[in-house]
Amino acid sequence: MLFAYVLLVEWTRALTATIPGAAVPALLLGGGGLVLAAWGWPAERLGLGTSKLGLRLLGGLALAVVLLLPTAARASVVPVLPGGLAVAAIAVSIGEEVAFRGALFAALEDIGGAPLAVIGSTLAWTAAHALSHPAEFLPPVAAAGLLLAMWRLVFRDLVGPIVAHVIADLAL
Amino acid sequence: MAAIAYLVAAWTVAPGFYDGFTPPQPYNFVCPPPQAGANAQPSSGSLNIKIINGSSDPNSAFTDDGQLVIGFLPGAFDVTGKSSVNVTITPISPCPNVDGLRFVVNTYLITADAPLVKSSNLVLRYSNLEPDPSYIYRASNLGGQWTRLDIQQQAQLYTISAQTDQLGYFSAGFPSNAISPGGTSNQELLPIIVAVLIAAVLLAGVPLTVMRRRQPRAAARRRDEDEEDEE
Repeated sequence: MLFAYVLLVEWTRALTATIPGAAVPALLLGGGGLVLAAWGWPAERLGLGTSKLGLRLLGGLALAVVLLLPTAARASVVPVLPGGLAVAAIAVSIGEEVAFRGALFAALEDIGGAPLAVIGSTLAWTAAHALSHPAEFLPPVAAAGLLLAMWRLVFRDLVGPIVAHVIADLAL
Repeated sequence: MAAIAYLVAAWTVAPGFYDGFTPPQPYNFVCPPPQAGANAQPSSGSLNIKIINGSSDPNSAFTDDGQLVIGFLPGAFDVTGKSSVNVTITPISPCPNVDGLRFVVNTYLITADAPLVKSSNLVLRYSNLEPDPSYIYRASNLGGQWTRLDIQQQAQLYTISAQTDQLGYFSAGFPSNAISPGGTSNQELLPIIVAVLIAAVLLAGVPLTVMRRRQPRAAARRRDEDEEDEE
């Protein structure tokens, strides 16, 4: 159910964003819809505890470095995020992390343990981007999903992935 | 391992992973910038507009790849002596170099075999790999004066539109000495962002690590002192 819900929200967002003038509302509503996927889950289960918050934030910065490094190393190939999309990009970044590495990860972990949580959340995340990204971008999208899911698994933390995802989206 | 897998995967596709909001399809450049990667040549387009009751029908001409769309109102053409109006759209190669202007999209020639008498709405799509264009420019010939058209509010991401009362050559860009209001590319900014992040991780990481190592020692020391007090 959760798997289908987050995919439905992401695909609806991607399709709606192509309607003239609907991009920002679609991104904001899509981000909100994804956050709703975590409804009823305790913060600790989502990886959103406040213990070691400094380290979690710092981990997020380190993860952001890894996400941005391939692009920064080839500075001539940097795309530009239109300024008006910054708030919407933040909303979607937080929504995606809460939905995929938060609620969906926790639900899959309950069902099939860590392997299913990592693989399932990565597959769902990749499928969710199939409508908004050209096919050649999906391998790096999947690899980023795997990296963020591994972080979530090893450190039981979602703050780092949220920080990294927000920074990466704002920078690109 | 996951980080290495990501770095390898992201390196294979320019610009790597980004969850930014890409155009639904890559832009087809006549003169692709180095960062474009694989590039298909842009399409041309044509349209035959019927004449009904002595007036040209409303219709839109567009390139097959959708990078240029021009909409014509009813009676947009002077159709005296005509049974239909043919409109053609052709991407221009080689790319024109115009003093004082920087174009970030292809230049297209739009022609019709009847004079345009009503303003038409022109929409140009642009790439996310280039800075946003500020204006649409029009010229009646490639070596002539380029006129800046007033752009309309952006209706869709990565598009720019304007009204035009003449056909001719069209492109979009900005004065070459200006900074695009859409933001210049992050080419210089991104390495700085990454450098700042690395510095932040190192600068904050060292004291955090030291604090975390000291805390257990301090707690153990307090426990020892408490035990000594009890004795």
